[in-house]
Amino acid sequence: MERIGVVLGRREATPLEFWVGVEGEGLLRLDDLVVVEGFHPKVGKVRYFGMVDLVAKAHEGERFDTDVFLAVGGKIPVSLAYVAHVSVTRIVPEEFFPPDPGSPVYLARGEDLGLALYYDAMKNQRGSTRLPVGFLKNGEVAYLNLEFLNGVKGGHVNISGISGVAAKTSYATFLLKSLLESGVLEEAHQARVLLFNVKGEDLLFLDKPNLRLSEEAKEEYHRLGPPPTPFGSVRFLAPPKKGGEGILPDVETRLEGVKAYHWDLVQFAKKGLLPFLFTDKGALTNLGFLVAQVTEKLRRLAEGQKGPHLLVADWPAGELPEEVTFDDLGRVRLKSFPDLVRYLEYKLLGPETGEGEGDKTWTARQARGTLEAFIRRLRSSVENVGHLVRGDRKGNPPDPLEGGEQVHVVDLAKLSPQAQMFVVGSLLSDLFAKKERGQYRGRVFVVLDELNKYAPRDEESPIKDVLLDIAERGRSLGVILIGAQQTASEVERRVVGNAAIRVVGRLDAAEAERPEYRYLPTSFRQRALILPQGMVILHQPEIPVPLLVRFPFPAWATKREEVLEDNSAEALRREFF
Amino acid sequence: MAWRLYALELSHLEGPGSGEALSGATVWGAEEGHPASFHPLEEPWEARRARPVPWPEPLYFVDGRERVEALISDGRRLVLLGCVAAGAVVFAQGAMRLLEPRVRRVGVGLEEALHLGDLVYEPLPLEGSKGPEDLLTALQEGLRRARAHLEEGLAGTLTGGLLVVDGPVRLRREGPVLGYIKTHWAHYLPEDKEALLPLLKPGERTPMFRVRREGQELASWYLRLPLPPEGVRPPESGLLRVETPLQGDLGALADLSLSLFPALASHPVKDPRAPQNLLPVGGLERELARRMGSREVVARILARHLGGG
Repeated sequence: MERIGVVLGRREATPLEFWVGVEGEGLLRLDDLVVVEGFHPKVGKVRYFGMVDLVAKAHEGERFDTDVFLAVGGKIPVSLAYVAHVSVTRIVPEEFFPPDPGSPVYLARGEDLGLALYYDAMKNQRGSTRLPVGFLKNGEVAYLNLEFLNGVKGGHVNISGISGVAAKTSYATFLLKSLLESGVLEEAHQARVLLFNVKGEDLLFLDKPNLRLSEEAKEEYHRLGPPPTPFGSVRFLAPPKKGGEGILPDVETRLEGVKAYHWDLVQFAKKGLLPFLFTDKGALTNLGFLVAQVTEKLRRLAEGQKGPHLLVADWPAGELPEEVTFDDLGRVRLKSFPDLVRYLEYKLLGPETGEGEGDKTWTARQARGTLEAFIRRLRSSVENVGHLVRGDRKGNPPDPLEGGEQVHVVDLAKLSPQAQMFVVGSLLSDLFAKKERGQYRGRVFVVLDELNKYAPRDEESPIKDVLLDIAERGRSLGVILIGAQQTASEVERRVVGNAAIRVVGRLDAAEAERPEYRYLPTSFRQRALILPQGMVILHQPEIPVPLLVRFPFPAWATKREEVLEDNSAEALRREFF
Repeated sequence: MAWRLYALELSHLEGPGSGEALSGATVWGAEEGHPASFHPLEEPWEARRARPVPWPEPLYFVDGRERVEALISDGRRLVLLGCVAAGAVVFAQGAMRLLEPRVRRVGVGLEEALHLGDLVYEPLPLEGSKGPEDLLTALQEGLRRARAHLEEGLAGTLTGGLLVVDGPVRLRREGPVLGYIKTHWAHYLPEDKEALLPLLKPGERTPMFRVRREGQELASWYLRLPLPPEGVRPPESGLLRVETPLQGDLGALADLSLSLFPALASHPVKDPRAPQNLLPVGGLERELARRMGSREVVARILARHLGGG
């Protein structure tokens, strides 16, 4: 045990916080963990563990600010005071009386550090639940209790930070790596991951080794647990290119191994995906009812159909647009999303000539204004999702619970906001429904950035409803949301509030002062403004103080230039034969 | 022996920087510096400047403090409990460092040590008259002597370099000593020579002259300290009288004093006794006051153990 100083007597020492005077050559920094032993004859020995959350140096013997010049000039004697404020994290045994001023203070290392951060409590009857999440400032491994992440005692992770420097995505992927491959998560091989790639193409190289990975970084992975390798089992899905007949994934930097995803009209109708095109259902009160009604109608219409096109029998020949054709049974074949929109327009508003009305079984007695508003919105969505919902070939929607791959990366970066909403909403609601029906046993981790877009604080949307569902009931079903956003203050409170693990990267100064970050002590809030890349602040329920965590450089490529090409003969043979 | 607390303060006898007036305003005997026996050591009698010289190292400043803590009585006599402290700062390698100060608690008039809680007052016999008129003065004089004794003991341990003491030079020492006197009660110069004092500019000194005291032969000179704002000021302000035993290279010491004292003069904004109360000594005094302990805490301990009178 390295003695670092003594408890100060000039300021009050309390059982929950006290000041330490650093002696001699001692070094005490923010986030260092210390331990103090107290004694009382009636209680016996008590140990106080704490974390330094404020350090200061001052000259004693100066009465004026300008005295420092005299001290520097060697004209007055001064002594240097080096003090630190300690927030107590734990008292063993729990006897809340203050330590004596003058008690020696030691650095907490090894076992003591584990006690200070409750590592000893991170276990269940089957073994340890300590999930490595990076390194503390003093070089020791930082852990979090897996039971607060995987849904046993708590679930969900929320990551905040400004874009570009906060490394939200990097940390989320590192966390996944640790979850899947550090051997702490039970039945990790059964876990599935759904990763949404929302900007650029950074997540499209998760399965490629990073050529900038240094030997030191590899060493760090070995110390933490997960191997310094890229993700082994990944499936990449991207939206199809717009226009053209073929279905080619719309990606630029990655040329192989990416498949295009889309829904066909029958899937669209059967799964009831229509509401996810209406992200502003709060705008008109009645619109929501109408959307629900039409969704239900479409569901019935698609019953028994195989697709990919949707067949309808109640669209008279006189009203058909030019390119829509009858099939041999006299039914109209809807071969594209615009066809579907026209059909709905006919059913709701009647013939284009304006004479007559819509089908009363479809309109559900809604006023014409509502019907028109509905159709207007639907028409404007054609441009956004026309290439994602098709009637010309069998659908291939992403399904993280299908196929052999463990990680499913779904690219949204090139989609319009409405289409992004549509994809996220459709996938999550589908996933959640399957888990509710018990179709998949393993845990599913969903990584979604830009939460403030999908679950905004003061708007209503069907996607928000799905996310709220996941946030509030997901952990019992084994659906864990790893959500990220630039500003937690703009995300629905219940989504953020349900996350047991909170992570903060670099924050914007105004954002850091918002109440959403009040759980961080002042010193951490101040530091959130200057966090370098590769550092995050992590808060978990069991430990009363947040941890400043440094995580290793990604072992997987995050862009084309970082890919370490495998030019061995074996690899080339695989590629050609 | 049952002592009771008589009073905690001698308010009418205490001024700022106790002992200050006493050290500067010693009542001179006839043999001391006196206009009549004026003997200059340098000619001609005019203001002198000197080129700046580096300070010698180590450079020591020694000072002491005393504090009356209580008057106690056992019904027959009064005893003064006080605290004396002496400390030194040393200038070396461009920084002023504090040396470990010495602090003693003494009971003037006690015959055996008095233990009160954590405090121990060492006995110090009372000298001089015991008349009720002079008793307080005698008690205070005892305390002052205790302080001087402590200072001299401390100064005796400092070897090499130059020693600067606050007040007249009384101790004998190997190596150079400078004493400086802040307040001037006694006149050392005849009137025609004294006319030079108001004309001294900051950083100038008078020529040296001889002073005799208690069998000691000393060289002394006046110098003017800088005192912002410069310009109009009474002729007495910023004057320091410096003395050193009549041995060694006196001229060099006198010239060195012009590099030393003006540079260490305090600023009136920060010290009511500026500029004569030198910076390191001011710092040292504050440190000594701290080491004497909180007056309030001491008073409480005394009151707890001795109660009232």
